[in-house]
Amino acid sequence: MMATSAVDMTRQQRWRLSTFLDANFQYWALAPILIFLAVLTLYPVGQLLRMSVSDMAFVKGKLEWTYVGLDHFQTLRNDPVVPDALKNTLLFVVVVVCVEAVLGLLLAILVSRARRFAWFYRSVYMIPLLIPPIAIGTIWRLMYDYNYGIINQVLFELGLTGPLWTANPDLALVSVMIVDVWHWTSFLFLIMLAGVESLPYELSEAARVDGANEVQVYRHIFFPLLRPTIIVALMLRTILAFKVFDQIFLLTGGGPGTSSEVISLYIYKVYFVQTRLGYGALLALLTAVIMSVFVVFYQWLNNYVNRQR
Amino acid sequence: MSRSNPKLTRRHLLKGAAAATGALLASAPGVSFAQKASTINFLRHRAQVEPITILINDSPWFPGFEVLVNNYVDATGNDVNLNVTPFAGMLEKSRNAVQGNESEFDILNLNEQWYMQFYAGGLVKPIKEIKPDFELDPNVIEYDSSTRWDPNVRYSTPDGEIYGLPINGNIQLFFYRRDLFEAEGVAVPTTWDEVEAAAQVFHDPPQMHGFTIRSKPPNWEYQAYLESYGTSVIRLDVETGEWSVGLTAPEALEATNVWLNLGRNYGPANYADMGQAENLALMASGRLAMAHMVGAAAPNFDNEDQSVVVGNVGADVVPGGPAGRATMSGIWVMGIPHNLPEARQVAALTFLEWALSKEAQLDYALAGAIPVRQDVYEELAGDEKLGWWMKAMGDSTPYIKAQPRLAETPQIVEVVDRRMSQAIIDELSPEEALQEAAEEIQAILEGGGYNVTPLE
Repeated sequence: MMATSAVDMTRQQRWRLSTFLDANFQYWALAPILIFLAVLTLYPVGQLLRMSVSDMAFVKGKLEWTYVGLDHFQTLRNDPVVPDALKNTLLFVVVVVCVEAVLGLLLAILVSRARRFAWFYRSVYMIPLLIPPIAIGTIWRLMYDYNYGIINQVLFELGLTGPLWTANPDLALVSVMIVDVWHWTSFLFLIMLAGVESLPYELSEAARVDGANEVQVYRHIFFPLLRPTIIVALMLRTILAFKVFDQIFLLTGGGPGTSSEVISLYIYKVYFVQTRLGYGALLALLTAVIMSVFVVFYQWLNNYVNRQR
Repeated sequence: MSRSNPKLTRRHLLKGAAAATGALLASAPGVSFAQKASTINFLRHRAQVEPITILINDSPWFPGFEVLVNNYVDATGNDVNLNVTPFAGMLEKSRNAVQGNESEFDILNLNEQWYMQFYAGGLVKPIKEIKPDFELDPNVIEYDSSTRWDPNVRYSTPDGEIYGLPINGNIQLFFYRRDLFEAEGVAVPTTWDEVEAAAQVFHDPPQMHGFTIRSKPPNWEYQAYLESYGTSVIRLDVETGEWSVGLTAPEALEATNVWLNLGRNYGPANYADMGQAENLALMASGRLAMAHMVGAAAPNFDNEDQSVVVGNVGADVVPGGPAGRATMSGIWVMGIPHNLPEARQVAALTFLEWALSKEAQLDYALAGAIPVRQDVYEELAGDEKLGWWMKAMGDSTPYIKAQPRLAETPQIVEVVDRRMSQAIIDELSPEEALQEAAEEIQAILEGGGYNVTPLE
């Protein structure tokens, strides 16, 4: 009797556990990805937070942490480079994202309407995206060279004096923007093209049959339908543009002066060149916060657009 | 310290065989004494120490270093592995190596701008702790005590203990177009005033520029101007242990004005964006009369694939100001990580001592590297191919000055680069740039816990 009762208990327990697991399976299924996320995202962010309130030094081969509270915030307040770097970064993001979006959309529309060689245009416009950034920076650095660069040589042949592309503080950031537009327009072009080609052809045809002209078709059908695609493309490109590093590192190094200094390059200098790990961590956190604001804005815009639809 | 082992090992067997071969050779008729001695020496050196791995940067002087290592392997039989790394990854790899229980590298190649972090943190071993009777050959140039660290004043001073040994003697030289100077009968300048006078003779833009400054980044060459006017970015009073920032001194303003004047008025229109490569290209393409740049640039002017001025460039000590001439060091030292077993430390030091010998350094120089021995410079001053700049390197030794060598150096250098760059583009006046830089550097030193004299 006793033995039977014990077996029943065990069966009951197993049944309960099995029921519990089945009932909450969706959460268990999420567990691996949550653990993955915690290890790869939350832990580094936690470390970054800890670093931003600490000073670290290598003593006898060991990394020693010293809690410094909000000292790095005080350093940030007095740092003359950060305001310039943030201003340049924001200017860079706004200009390049707008120009690339307009050009990308325009190219996407033109290529989608091309009756011949559409495959060729697609391939050609993708080329800049396929070139490694280090090669792009080097190529453009040589092209921009005031004394030997091909751009100024061509201008010279035309009887013009070429500008000081990277030596003029008023032009240095613009020079980097030109390279960025050349490099990244194809990224937006590809996304926009996918969006344009997925639009229902019947709607615009019906509008035309009803007497709408091209401007009206674009304004009332084409762009409203393409809006979600544009927003996602802008969000992705904004995030990438905010992290611009390689082109500026290779073309201007942030100079002359601080005329083309951007926040990612400055973080690199603080963290890896000056070995100010704690302060560098604070700057990285600051960048992450600003980028989060952009992401939240785009998410809000996306939801807003969806509600409008 | 080698471990004792009572058992017969492969090494004992090899040593015995080597000794027997040596004895046979010594008694063999028809073999000259010199041949016998070198063969015996070779056998005696066969695999004496543990294999070593050296962390070395990929640089224009790397081929010379490779020759040095190959010569060492051939001469001693000791194995050497090279971990060749781009400059950008050197600091990270060096730092990682000294953090673990045992370093993967036996020798770290440390740049002038960060070696002090390794000395100050005890991350490399003082040489005398490896070999108590170690004495540095007086012919090895110490580059204003770059080899040493004095923990009492937290700086490289002549009284400090030896932590690292120099391997690349980068300093600055003054390069000029010898053919043009001879044609115009202009004497080689020894002062900045004479540089300006000569620049006026040759400056004919855009075909020919009189002189260029390095503005991207400016700090290294700019410091030579400061030193030649009797000041420096920072200075330590060894007696009091007190630091001072020299950028608010009137001499700093004079030096800065001279530097700006030469750069703006005798350089190309893009004077604000002239890096080392751009200066080198201008000189090699025959469009520059004078330049103040790293001595290691010299072989480029003799390279027929790169230069149209082969045989027409001369080199001399960097000109000076009221306080004399000055050339800044930008050297590399080799350090032995603290976290190595004793046998590996001994092996590493064995290599370094060999590498600093005169014979090794001569071959090193002939292979295109920058030696670190004064007697090598003096001997090569008469060399047909290298003599024109080796002599200038040797003549520059008394004028070598150190860059700031503190753990905070990268921060200080960043300030100098940024503020002087702002002065070049007229974003700040020279007075403002110096004042702003001085205040920032003062704050860095105070924040680092140094005893600092208040700013003037």
